[in-house]
Order: sequence, then C-alpha cells, then structure tokens
Amino acid sequence: MNLKKYLVRALHRLQKGPGYTYKELLVWYCDNTNTHGPKRIIKEGPKKKLIWFFLTLLFASLVFWQWGILINTYLSYNVTSSLSIGFKTMKFPAVTVCNANPFKYSEVKHLLKELDRLIEAALERILQPTPGNVSDSVSPPLDLQLWNQIPLVLIDEHNKDNPVILDIFETNQTAGANETAASNETAGDNQNSGGNETTMHSETTAGNQTTAPPAPANTTTEEKKYKLAVKLCSHQGSNNCTYRNFTSAAQAVTEWYILQSTSILSKVPLHERIRMGYQAEDMILACLYGAEPCNYKNFTQIYHPDHGNCYIFNWGMDEEALNSSNPGAEFGLKLILDISQQDYIPYLSSAAGARLMLHQQKSFPFLKDQGIYAMAGTETSIGVLVDELERMGYPYSDCTMNGSDVPVKNLYSQYNTSYSIQACLRSCFQNHMVEICGCGHYMFPLPKGVNYCNNEDNPGWAYCYSSLRSSIKQRQICIDSCKETCNDTQYKMTISMADWPSEASEDWIFHILSYERDMSTNVTLDRNGIIKLNIYFQEYNYRTISESAATTIVWLLSSLGGQFGFWMGGSVLCLIEFGEIIIDSLWITVINVIGWCKGLRQKRVRDQYPDAPPTVSELVEAHTNLGFQHEAVGALPRDEALPPEPGTPPPNYDSLRVQPLDVLSPDSDVE
Amino acid sequence: AATAPGKKITARLKRTLPVRGPQAPTLSELMRWYCLNTNTHGCRRIVVSRGRLRRLLWILLTLSAVGLILWQCAELLMNYYSASVSVTVQFQKLPFPAVTICNINPYKYSAMTEYLSELDKETKKALETFYGFSEGKSKVRRSVDEWNSTGSDFFQQIPLLKVEDFSRTATDLHSGQKRKIEGSVFHKDSSIVNSGDSNDIIGFQLCDANNSSECALYTFSSGVNAIQEWYKLHYMNIMAQIPLETKEKLSYSADDLLLTCFFDGLSCDKRHFTRFHHPLHGNCYTFNSGENGTILSTSTGGSEYGLQVVLYIDEADYNPFLVTSTGAKIIVHDQNEYPFIEDIGTEIETAAATSIGMHFTRSRKLSKPYSDCTETGADIPVENLYNKSYSLQICLHSCFQKAMVDSCGCAQYAQPLPAGAEYCNYKKNPNWMYCYYRLHEKFVKEQLGCQQICKDACSFKEWALTTSIAQWPSTVSEDWMLRVLSWDKGQKLNKKLNKTDLANLMVFYKDLNERFISENPANTLVILLSNFGGQLGLWMSCSVVCVIEIVEVFFIDSLSIVMRRQWQKAKKWWNDRKRAGPGKPPQAGDVERQGHDNPVCIDEDLPTFNTALRLPLPQDSPLPRTPPPNYSTLRLETAFTEQLPDTLELGRH
Repeated sequence: MNLKKYLVRALHRLQKGPGYTYKELLVWYCDNTNTHGPKRIIKEGPKKKLIWFFLTLLFASLVFWQWGILINTYLSYNVTSSLSIGFKTMKFPAVTVCNANPFKYSEVKHLLKELDRLIEAALERILQPTPGNVSDSVSPPLDLQLWNQIPLVLIDEHNKDNPVILDIFETNQTAGANETAASNETAGDNQNSGGNETTMHSETTAGNQTTAPPAPANTTTEEKKYKLAVKLCSHQGSNNCTYRNFTSAAQAVTEWYILQSTSILSKVPLHERIRMGYQAEDMILACLYGAEPCNYKNFTQIYHPDHGNCYIFNWGMDEEALNSSNPGAEFGLKLILDISQQDYIPYLSSAAGARLMLHQQKSFPFLKDQGIYAMAGTETSIGVLVDELERMGYPYSDCTMNGSDVPVKNLYSQYNTSYSIQACLRSCFQNHMVEICGCGHYMFPLPKGVNYCNNEDNPGWAYCYSSLRSSIKQRQICIDSCKETCNDTQYKMTISMADWPSEASEDWIFHILSYERDMSTNVTLDRNGIIKLNIYFQEYNYRTISESAATTIVWLLSSLGGQFGFWMGGSVLCLIEFGEIIIDSLWITVINVIGWCKGLRQKRVRDQYPDAPPTVSELVEAHTNLGFQHEAVGALPRDEALPPEPGTPPPNYDSLRVQPLDVLSPDSDVE
Repeated sequence: AATAPGKKITARLKRTLPVRGPQAPTLSELMRWYCLNTNTHGCRRIVVSRGRLRRLLWILLTLSAVGLILWQCAELLMNYYSASVSVTVQFQKLPFPAVTICNINPYKYSAMTEYLSELDKETKKALETFYGFSEGKSKVRRSVDEWNSTGSDFFQQIPLLKVEDFSRTATDLHSGQKRKIEGSVFHKDSSIVNSGDSNDIIGFQLCDANNSSECALYTFSSGVNAIQEWYKLHYMNIMAQIPLETKEKLSYSADDLLLTCFFDGLSCDKRHFTRFHHPLHGNCYTFNSGENGTILSTSTGGSEYGLQVVLYIDEADYNPFLVTSTGAKIIVHDQNEYPFIEDIGTEIETAAATSIGMHFTRSRKLSKPYSDCTETGADIPVENLYNKSYSLQICLHSCFQKAMVDSCGCAQYAQPLPAGAEYCNYKKNPNWMYCYYRLHEKFVKEQLGCQQICKDACSFKEWALTTSIAQWPSTVSEDWMLRVLSWDKGQKLNKKLNKTDLANLMVFYKDLNERFISENPANTLVILLSNFGGQLGLWMSCSVVCVIEIVEVFFIDSLSIVMRRQWQKAKKWWNDRKRAGPGKPPQAGDVERQGHDNPVCIDEDLPTFNTALRLPLPQDSPLPRTPPPNYSTLRLETAFTEQLPDTLELGRH
C-alpha cells in the first residue's frame, strides 16, 4: 500500500517537473541549467544554434577527455620530493668497530693446526720448483681425511683440449684423481666456452696413481699451464662433482681455506667463539666522545660471523642515543684501536686493518656491504653527512615501513634489530640454504632447530652452498621478495688519512697505551696494529629528501573543477542537475512503456471482439449510461484505458510550472 | 499528428522566448542584453544595481576581477615551464659499471729507452747543471763529456731558462748565455709573481717559429714543475710520432697488469677486460666494457660479490720524469661513457687493499624548454671526436681539439684525432708548442667559446664511491701470499714479487638501491587549463563559453552594429542628397528611426526577433490566450491509474 502511495507521489512530483516529453524536458534543462553552453543552443537562431550545439558537444567531450587524463594522473600516485640541507642536532650514528680478522690466531691455533699444515704442504707441492724434491721431512702425517672432504686440485692445461686434473696429494686413499679422457673433453669444452665452473661426472677409478707430482714452476714455459681448482662433490666420493676454477692460486687457496675453516669453526659453540675473538679491553684502547671520556664499557658487544667480536658504540639498544649538536672533529668520536696484526690467521684474511661502519641505531651492521677499512698506523678522519630519504609507502612506492609485510622470515630479529634489506636478503638466502642443503651457513643466523653446516654431518654442504650461491634464480627470488625500507638513512663519509703516530710521538704514545692496557712498562704495541679514528659531523650534517604526494584528492577535485569550469562553467551542482534530468527522462520512459503496454493490451482486447471498436459516441454513452458499464467484463480494462474526455486544448505546461501553488500541494495532501 | 507536438513546441518557444539578443539595435542595448544574459558574474550587477555609487563600485569590482584573472593567468603561463623533482629508489639487480684500470706509468720504461734515451740524458744533464744532482745508480748510461758534444736538440727547441724578473733577462742554463726576454711572461704556478728571489724562477721560452720576436716565457716557481712540464712537452712530441700499434706494444699487456680477478664470487680473467689505449696513460683495461654485447650485473651487494683484482704495478719500470707517483688509476663509468682518467680517476695505492663501495644514482633532467641541456649532443655544433655517447667533458675536449687543428694546423696528442688531421710534432709543426700554450691559455680563460657552446647532458649516471684502504697483505699472510702470487704470475717472472708492486682493488655495490632523480614537468596542458578554469571560475564564474560570448558580443556584434549604423548614415546621406535635389527638407522622423522601428534591422534569419518586435510584450506576461485550466489540481484529485492516459495523450496524438 505504501509503495503504491509512494509511486503515486513520485509520479505527481514528476508531472510537476520539466515536462512530459523528452523534448520538453531537454528544452527545459537547456534553458535552466547553469552550465554555459546549452542555454545558448536554444536561445540563438538556427545557424548559431547549430554552431553552439557542436561547440557544447565539443566542450563536453573535452571536459571528459581531460578528466580522464586527470584521474589517470591521480591514480599513478606521483610524488614530489623536497630537499633540505643544513645543520641540526642529530643523533650520532651507531659506530661498529671490528677487526678484519675474526679470531686471535693464538686462540684458534689448536683448531686450525691441521688445516694450516695441509695448506702449507699443498703450497709446498704446488710451488715446488722441481719434481721429486718433495720434502719428506714432514714429521707428523697429514690429516688427509680433512683434505679429501674438499680437495684442491691442479688442472694441467698444457693440452688445451684435454686438461688433466691432478690431485695434489696423490695417495692410495685418493679417489677420483685419474680422469678418463671422455670426461676431460667435456670439461675442456666447458672451460673453453668461458664458464668458470666445470662440472664433470667422472667415473671414479680407484687406483694408484703413478703420475709424478705436478711440476708447474717450470721456469722456461711462457704460458701459465696450471690452474688451481677446488673440487666440490655433492657427497663424498660420489660422481657428482664440480671443479671450481680459479685463475689465481691465491684466490683458490683463500676460498678453500674459508670453506674448510667454516666447517671447523661452525662446530665450536658461540661462547667459545666469542672467547676466541678480540676482547673489548684489548681492542679499544682509548675513547673520547666530544669532551667526555668513554671506554670499552660504552660499547655493546655483538658477535659477527665475518669479523668475530664487533663493538658498537651508541647502538641505542639499552640507553638513549647520543645527540651531537656541534660540527667538527673536536665534538665527534675519537677512538684508538689495537688490531694486533701479529695475531692474524694467515690464510683467512689477507687484508689487515679495522673494519668499521656507521649505521642507524638499532640496526644490524652489515660490514661486508657498507663497512669501510681503516688502515693500521694511520689516523683516519671520517666526516659524516647524513643522507636521509623519507618515502611514502604504498601505493606511492613499493617499500616497507617495518618489514612486517615482507614474506621472508627475518632471522636477524633475534638481535632485536630493525628490518633492513640486507637482513632480508641474507635471511632469504639462509632459508633457502636450510631448505635445500639441510643445514645453515655459518655466516648467517640460524633458524630454529637447524645446525650449522660442517663436513662431518653434511658432507656435501660445500657443493650445495656453492651451487646455491651462484644460482641466479635463487638471487632473483630473494630480490623479488625483499623490499627496501621507506626511510633510508645513509651516512656519507668523507674519509681522509694521515700517518699516526708521528715518528716523534711514537715512543711515548706506544708506551702509555701499552701501560694502560697491560699495566706493564713493556711496549706491547707497534705501528702495524694501532689505529686512530675520528668520526664527526660535517658542517652540513644532514640532507633530507622527503616525499610528498604530488596529486592529492584535493588537487584532483580542484583540477576537475577547473576543467569543468574552464570549458563549460559547470560545477558539481550541474552534474546533479544532469542526473536529475536523466532520472526524469527515465520516468518518462517508464510512463511511455506503461502506456505502450496498456495500448497493446487494449488492442489485444479489442482484437478479441470482432465488432468494430466503440465510437466516441458509444464511449460517451458508456460514461453517461451507468448501465452500459456492466455489459461485458472484457470491456472493463478498455474502460480504464480510456482517456478522460479532454475536449479542451492541451494545457500550457509551462504556465503550469510557474504556478507556485502546486509545489507543496501533493505533499501536504498526502500528509 | 505525431510530429505535430515537436513543431508546436518549437513554434511556441519561438513565440514566447524574448529575443533581445545580439541583434539588438544599439550598442547600449547590446551591452544591456549581454550583461543581463551572460553567465559571468559581476556584469549583471552593474546593470541591475541602482544608484550611481553602487554601479561604479560594481564596475570597479568587475574590472578588477578581470584584471586579476589576466594577471593570474599570465603568471600561470610564465610558470608553465617549471619542473618538479622526484626521487625514486628502486631495489633491483643493477648493471655493473665499466671499471677502467690503468697503471699510472703509461709505458714500460725499459721498452721506451729506444725513444726516450736522448731526452732522458738531457734531462739528467740539466738536473746536474742546474741543481748539482747526479744520479749514481742511473740505468741509462751517460757521461758528462757527452754534454757539450751532442747537439741537444731539445734545449735548442725549448730552452730552459733561469729568469731574472726585474732585469727581464734570463740565463740559458744550457749554454750559460744571458739573453733578453721578449714577449710576454706567463707564470704557470700562480698569477701572483713571487718577486722576492728571482733566482728561484725557472722556466722555458716558447717562440713563434715564424716570427721569432714573438715569444712567451713560462716560468715556474719550482724546478720540479718546470722540469716535469718541459719533459712532458718533449715526451708528447716524441710519442706523437710513434704509431698506435707500437705504442700498444710498448705499454702493459693485460697479463702484465692483472694478477688475479674475481667477480661476483667467480673467477675471471683477461678475457673480461677490454684494452683501451689512452694517450697519456698507455694501455688501460676496462672490465665489463660491454664490448661483446653483454653487460654483467650484480644481484647481491657487498664486497664479496663485486670485482676483486690484484694489480701488478711494476714500480721498477717507471719513467722517473714523467710520473712521480706509484700506483694505478681507476675510474668507474658507464659502458657508453668515455673514461677521462686524467680528469676524474681515483688513484690506488700499492701494498694496500683499496675497497671502493659504490652507490648508484641516475639523474635525468628535462631538456628544452625546461633547462638548457642536450639529450644526445646532436644539437651541439661540435663534432664528437670520441666514439662514445655525449658528455660535457667530451664536448670540451673535442672543441679544444678542433680549435687546435684550426689554428695550429695539427692535433694535440692527448685527444683523439679529427678526420684529416695528424698529431703535432716538431718535425712537421715546429710552431705547435707555442700555439698550443697560447690556445690553452685562451681555453682556460674561456675565450675560445667552448664553455659557451657545450652544454650539459640531460641524463647521466653517477657512481658515488666510498674509498677506504687497508693494509694488504697483512704481515702474517704476506709470505704465502707473495709466494702464491709469484707462482700465479707465471714462469716468465724470475724474481719474487714485492708487496709494493701489488695493489689489491675491490669494487662493489654497497647496496642494490638505484636512486633515480628525475625532473618532471610540474605542469601539463591539462593542469594549466584546469588552473585557468579555476581562476576564471573563482573571480567571475567564467568559462570558455563566456570568452566566446565576449568575443561574439564585443567584437562581432558590436562591429556589426556599428557597421549597420554607418550604413544607415550613408544611406541617409545618400537619400538626403537625392532629396536635396528636389529640395525636400529631411524628415526628422528618419533620425530617430533606429532599433525597433528601423526596418533595416530586420534579420531574415531570425523571424523570432521580428515577432518579438512586432509584439513588444512585457517579458513575463503570458501569451494572450485563454488561461489554461489548472490541470495539476485536477490530476491531484484523480487516482493514479485514471490519470495515466492523460499524460500519454500528447504522445498518442
């Protein structure tokens, strides 16, 4: 019932509206709209009418086209950047200091003794100038078990097409040293095609090798004929082996040593490894921050797999980060470090110095990526400029605020450090490693319930690691899944160096520092171990690039309004007007359709009766004669469809509209 | 019957709509019509307002609004070509840049003796005579007796002089003769002459060979600089005569320079390096030059995954006069860029590991009309002599070389040869040095116009380097390292390597973030139009339609009205003249017959106007017909269903 009432009301309201036909409606709209064009269409003469019609059409299409462009621009989420440079009080960066060498050689000697003897013997053989002159004076037998897990081999390339692979310690236990010609050919092909790695599936023929030890150091040959390679097998003694070629023996030895020592050291528990590393009191001899003295206790110890014990100043984990409000070396951090170069592991790290890095508070120091060296015997001054980049997150750029939306489990969160892209990439690698090789790599943190790889438990780990490391696919997966952080802080450093201590001051400085450290009058320090560091803010200490959205919703609206206004003088209300007209025309359609349906039905009814349709007089009679109505049931609808007898000329609807009386009457009527 | 309603409505509209349009008979009427009917605000108020003050106020306001619009739009137009900067950081696999490595010493000294022994001999003699320095353990054998016997070409061509500034005399250090200085004096070291001790000033004189009176004296405050400059002049002379193939042989080979190479965790060798001959640095080797079509890329940052090379710097084979420092020079550049090692190279120390962390930034500027930069360099009238993509450096060097060829007739040794030119040498161009120095002076003082012609490149790549140095090899690893490297070096080297002959270099990406700084147009046409629209709408609620209206009303219609009046006047005058013949006095009524009354105004096009004129009805009075019945009230009384046919009536007729 209500619905019907509502419909009736709506119809009435409509009927009071602009008109009963489309044309009337349109003319009314054109005459009354606030958009500028349409009014002219109806107000002008026929020629101008046409011109204005096309102009209006053109402007309308222009408006829509430009709106499309504007909306597209908005949806592309552009950003504008603003740059600010200057000096302000800033948090002093966290400073991580490490020794380039992870452990004191004196402490790890017992673990690496066998390895060192092996490599020394191997080098002896490789570098031996003449064959047969093998020193038999090696008193204890070499631990060939260790050697055979990951052996070094020599590749004889005298014959380019058929390189011969020679084991360095040819012994009875050695398997797989003698290669068949067929497999060697494939190897040769691989090498000639420029690949650095040679994979070969060799039929291992266990047997005594009779060839003499290699004699590479033949001084008369012009070309280098021998290459060192690391042989990696997926399982011990299996056929699935890879030879990692090195153009340089030095590289090969270093790589081999790293692989072997990693395996040994990974079995050592963490606290033991920390003990073997450099202790804060031994390493940090003097510390001064601004005018305030500090000492090694102000540093937070962290165990870094690459560099052993590292010490972080101003990490901000427990206490507030220090602020620096003055530029210049006088107000920065001054450190004197001892790296005791005599205690380096000879084969592990060939570069000597301190490794240091400036980073944000509460972030993990990735020294291999961002770290710099400081040379022993010098004073290194580092002027810092903080380069900050503040970006808008999604949808403006694909970055992450805190890493929570990255699908990689961050293994570095066990250090309570914040997310960084390096952490993500390393975690990603370690996760892959655990998945594929079944053990974790020593250089990265461990996921729960997984052990570090070593030769005993995971014989094929080196092979697995090596193939994983060089796999482009794996890297791409990690690159794709990791996102950079939105707020990126870089410390731009201006590094300069000078010799320190000077020759004149050398004596007393060494004396005092030795005394302070060891409480003895003996000088325990020397030029090769001592480093002075100055880290300070430059005069312009920050440069911030911050992003803001180039196109906001306000911008969009004002631009849309500007366009509409520019071409047609329109506004939102004009759009609403237009919408109203559409609704009105819909109503007209509805009415027309109803009318047409009724007409159709009437026609059908009429068709049922063979007699001619009632004439006007008959109808008039039907109206006046009450009895006539009940003549037939079928006549009823026809009766309904009949128009009320008009006779009068069509009403002037325009004038109807002006009558203010009717505006409220239907509403009040219903009430 | 179906078409009837449409026609009827139009007819009715024509009848009812008041037409006072642009066909208005007088200008003031036109203005009034315009003001009343226009969509711009303000004008209507002028017409509608009562009272002179108020009207004046509205006129002022409207005019100031127009003024504001014009001002603001002009401002918008002027700021149209402005750019906004956006910085994007993309984390991705990065292409590894080309790394060009050169030994600081260009050619093996031992191989150069053939060419340089004469020069060296003379240099040493000069050192001995000027400074009493004698080199005991000199490799090149010489005797003092030779000194006076040899012709000493070098001293004759460019004599070294000790200058006495005030007397303007100089002592020829070779012959000991005093001579008068003619021409101008150039002080190489500083523009401020150290007039204290003139004995310290040493220099050389360059004379125009054609006109010996025109000489220029170049003086140096220190003999070190003087000797080196002097040596370099002669050296370049000699080198210019040696063909390129020979020079390449004289310089270091890849095997000589590179001991080990390691990239991205894999071993690499000399095949990954491309030779590139630099006139001043000899053979340089470019890693990842992209010459074979592939450019290596890095997908992991960090020192392990970058380029690690150990360089063999054979210090013993250095030219003692040409270069005085030891080490290597490297430059990180794009594959398409020419490495200007002499300008922007980084020096690498021996006996040390130099770790260079890179951070990649790509920049892009907008070219004309936003800024004065060039995309490809094609629009710059300087021929690119280098076979690489355009850069400012290339342009300047090419420009200088061109000027050199034009004015001196030969090309300078340090830059590539233009087509059809050859390098300067004494034998062919005895005058070139004087010419070169003069030209260089001009170039530095920006008198050649090169700095004006050459423009920045619009896009450039930059690798910011963080360089740090560690001791290498460490004391404990030195022993085995040198042994193994000696073995690596191979069999042709008999001696054991010394650590001062070696330099370790690591070049790696600190992170894989590519920073892309780009300029974008701050305005597009769409935004400009939007802003125009905003301004027009804000001050006057105007639009393009209004502008068209204004043009229509103020130009076309006004003009037509004026023309019409003129036509009438002319016609009247004509009539008058005609009438003057018969002697009839002019009719007073004719003058007033304007506008409505004037039959000339009738526009055939617009019968509506005509009808409107004929029936000067008040605007809001309805047509003089019988008032129509008030149907809506009827409708309200009837039910919905009964009502429907009524509404359909029109359509059915």
